[in-house]
Order: sequence, then C-alpha cells, then structure tokens
Amino acid sequence: MERRREILVGLVVVLGIAVGVVGTIWLQGGWRGDQLMLRAASPSAGQLVAGASVKFRGVAVGRVESVAVVPSGEAVMIEMSVRPDLAIPPDAAVLVAPESFFGDWQAEIIARDEYQVHPFLEFPEEGVLPGVALPDFSRLTATADQIAGRLTTISERFEVAFTEETAMNLKNLIDNLGLISDDLSKMISQQAARFDELAVGVSESARELAGAARTARTMLENADSLLTDAGVGTMLGDAGESMRNLRTLTGDMREAMAEMRAAAQQGVTTMNRLEGLMARAESGEGLMGRLLADQELAEGVTTAVANLNTLLADIKDNPTRYLSFSIF
Amino acid sequence: MVLFPVTVPLSRPLAASGRSTLAALGSIGQASALFAGSVRALRDIGVWGPLLLPQMARVGVASVPIALFIAMFTGIVMSLQASYTLTGTIPLYFVGTMVGKTMILELGPVLTGLTLAGRVGANISAELGTMRVTEQVDALETLAYNPIAYLVVPRTLAGILMFPFVVLLAIAMGIMSGWLTALQLLDMSSPEFIKGLRLFFEPWDVWFAVVKSVSFGAVVTGIGCFCGLQTDQGAEGVGRSATRTVVVSSMIILCLDAFWAAVLL
Repeated sequence: MERRREILVGLVVVLGIAVGVVGTIWLQGGWRGDQLMLRAASPSAGQLVAGASVKFRGVAVGRVESVAVVPSGEAVMIEMSVRPDLAIPPDAAVLVAPESFFGDWQAEIIARDEYQVHPFLEFPEEGVLPGVALPDFSRLTATADQIAGRLTTISERFEVAFTEETAMNLKNLIDNLGLISDDLSKMISQQAARFDELAVGVSESARELAGAARTARTMLENADSLLTDAGVGTMLGDAGESMRNLRTLTGDMREAMAEMRAAAQQGVTTMNRLEGLMARAESGEGLMGRLLADQELAEGVTTAVANLNTLLADIKDNPTRYLSFSIF
Repeated sequence: MVLFPVTVPLSRPLAASGRSTLAALGSIGQASALFAGSVRALRDIGVWGPLLLPQMARVGVASVPIALFIAMFTGIVMSLQASYTLTGTIPLYFVGTMVGKTMILELGPVLTGLTLAGRVGANISAELGTMRVTEQVDALETLAYNPIAYLVVPRTLAGILMFPFVVLLAIAMGIMSGWLTALQLLDMSSPEFIKGLRLFFEPWDVWFAVVKSVSFGAVVTGIGCFCGLQTDQGAEGVGRSATRTVVVSSMIILCLDAFWAAVLL
C-alpha cells in the first residue's frame, strides 16, 4: 500500500513537472539547438516583445530574444536568434512591423535595397544591423485624429462662411452665369454668321489664288521656252562683251582715281608748303613777311612800283632817250 | 444596559456588530497563532515527516481525476465560447490564444483551487473537526504529541507541494481538450490553434499559475485545518466547519487571485 502510494505521488509529481517544463518549451517554439545571434538597432520597437517571430522572406526563422533601449537612449537594441544556416543578404536590415492587426509584431530580416524608402537607423557599432519600425496603430490613429481635427476646423469655417447671404450671393452668381451664358450663346451665333461670310471670302480668295497660280504657271512655261530658245546665246554673248567693257572701264577709272589721288597728294603737299610760307610770312620772315609786317616798306615798294611803271611808260614813249642803237 | 436605558432597541445591532468584530478578530488571532504554531512545528520533522507522503497522496493524487475532469470541460467550453465571441473580423486562431491564456493564467489555477477547496478543504475540516469533537486531538496532546505538527503541518505541506502539479496537469488537460474541440467542432487546423496558442505565450505565465496554485494549496489546507480544529458542538459543528471551510476558502482564493493578478502581472 505504501509502495503504491509512493508511486502514485511520484507519478503525479513527475507528470506535473514534465507538463510544466515540456509545455513551456513547446509553447515557446520548441527546443532549438545552436542559434545564430543577430543584433539590430531601430529608432523604436513598436509593440515588439521578446519571443516575437523573426522572419526572412515571410518564413519564421527565429525569435526575438530581447528588446532594450541602448544606454545613450538614441535607439532600441533588438537581439534575435535565428537558424544558423540562414543566408543573410549582405545589405541586410531589420524591419519591425505588425504581424497582424491584433497587436503581435515581428522583426523581419530584409534586403535593404528593396526597402529604400524607409529611414533605417545606422548604429555606430560593428555587427549591428540597421533597423526601422513601422508606425503602429496608435500613431496612425493619432494622425487620423489630427486629420479629423483639421477637417472639423475646415467644416466649422465653412459653416461660418456659408451664411444665408452667401447662399443668396451664390444664387445671384448662378443667375448671372446664366445670363452670361445666354450672351455668350448669342455672340457665338453672330460670330458663326461672320465666320460663314469669312468662309465665303476665303473661298473666293482661294479661287483667285488658283487663277494667279495658273497664270504664274503659264509665265514659268513661257520663261522655260524662252530659256530653251537660240536668242538667249546671243544675249549672253552681248552681256559678256558688256561685262568685259565694263571691266576695262573699271580699270581706267581705277587708274584715273590713282592719278587723282596723286594729284590730291601733291595738292596737299602744296597746301602744306603754302601754309608754311604763310606762317613764315606772318612771322615776318622773307620779303613777303617784311612787306606784311612793315607798313613803311610796303608803301616804299608801292611807290617804287609806281615809279617803275612811270619809267616803263616813258621808255615806251621815248625809247631814244634811254636807248641808243648804232652800227659801228 | 443600565448606561443606555433609552437606546435599548439600538444597542442590539451595535452589540451584534461588536460581537462579530470581536469574533473576527479572535479568529484572525487564532489563525495567526495556528500559523505561528505551524512554523514552529516544522522543526518536528520526525512527527510530520512520515505523514507527509500519505497526505500528498490524499490531497494531490486523489484530486487529479476531478481536477482533470473539470479542466477538460472548461477547455471545451472555452474553445466553443471563444469561437462564438471571435466570429467576425478576428481570426479564428485567436481561439488558441484565448484557451491557452485563460487556462494558464486564470481558469486552471482558480477552478482547480475552488474544486479542491470543496474536496480537500472540506475533507480536512470534517476529519479534524471529528477528531476535535471526539477529543482525539486532546488525546494527542495527552500523549505529548503536538497536534499541529501531527495534523496541520503534513496536510498544509501536502497542499502546498501538490497543488501546483495538479494545476499544471489541469492546465494541460484544458488546453488539450480545447485543442481537440477546435479541431473537431470549429473546423480549425492544428497549426492554426498552435499559432494562436504560442502567439502571446510567456514562460512567466506558467510561473504565475504555479505561484497562485501554491498559495491556493496553502489556503485550502490551512483553512481546512483551522476550521476543523475550531469545531465544537458535535456532528452539527463538524458540518458547519466543513461548510465554513469551503466558503471561506473560496472567498480567499478569489481574493488571492485578484491580489496576485495585481501584484505579479
């Protein structure tokens, strides 16, 4: 009896311990051998807790071992244990996100270039994967609340702005729009009639243009026949002769121009000399200068010239007085 | 009565309140004395040691069938009611979560505790009450036995030691029955149920259940011993003690349940 009692008690105790230990291990995900430990830093952990799933390409490959804020307070360090044979991409990062709509979160190992829009946290420690946490529902709800508040403000302002007077103004505006619409309709009708007239004019102009085109075509045909005629050769020969004559004339003119240029040069030189002489005369140099500068000398010369004229006249009148001609 | 000749009608309820208060305080004092005596009696291992194993068998092993029976149906009901509640947008695998969490944290320990309060507590109270009214306890004292070491310590230790194992087995049974119910009646698959079961599982949950069950074991056996040793007035008193044990144990179990939830969770 005592032996049976001992066995029963022992059985219950062993079974209870086995249920507690094995059940706990099993509910945690089963007994796992050596695991690869990974660490990731994220600005936030969201609702991630120890024991949450770690996934890679949607497949559960491990679990979160711990979630803790780093001592500096600038990030959350997430430690994960994953299958040791897991081939992690070289640019691996960790995306912390809800696993479902019901509060369970997961850490997903991703290739960073596939999620370039997310601001991953680069933690200055070797071996720490960059991470980022998606906003949870509370943040989304907070944002929705802000939007709702702004919508409320807008609706209140609209309510304030949209008074009975505003409604009347709007009604008047609509009436005015109706009137404007009628006026526009009339104007369009008038313009349509004018467009019809214009179209008729354009049609006539087109016909005239067609006639002019026909005339031009005839003229071109005549010119073509003229160009093919033998008289053109003569005309071209005469024109060539005229060009040659013109070229000769041009050469002669070039020579005349050269001579004129030389004459002009000489004129310039003469004028320079004259200016020099005039300058010297004005400065009193030479006979002319002295005559210009000395009034008495000029009168003397004038008197002398008058006397000479008198003398010459007397010589003409009385040559024998001054000349004696004898042969021997 | 001489001092309050005018307020005689009012003095009766006041006197009743006073008597109740004094009785309650007296009971607390007696319970404290029993607790202190039990702690002192732990030194008399030669007295209670040989009696521990039989008491463990009575308190623990004999309680396993009824505990498993209750847990099995609790798991079935939990599974069905969870699926009924979660019908709609919430995925059905949360049935596993609700069954697991509820059985581990609450229903496993509390229902087992309440059940054992009726079975073990009433049994201990009736046994010790009978010994008290038949003066067997006095005979033990006459024979120089410490009745606390001989009667109280082995029963209380047996309850403290065996309740956690009974509760763990009950939790396992409740989860298993809930799982089978989900498979057979809710058209769920095992991976779905296990996913929900593991979803928010924390090892601390199991420790929480163990801590609660230890306290429940101490309460049920301790109150059974206390009420049994307080028995008087013959067979009628024995029945009252048994009833009182069940009622007080159940109340304290529920109070402790709330206390541990507030303290440990």
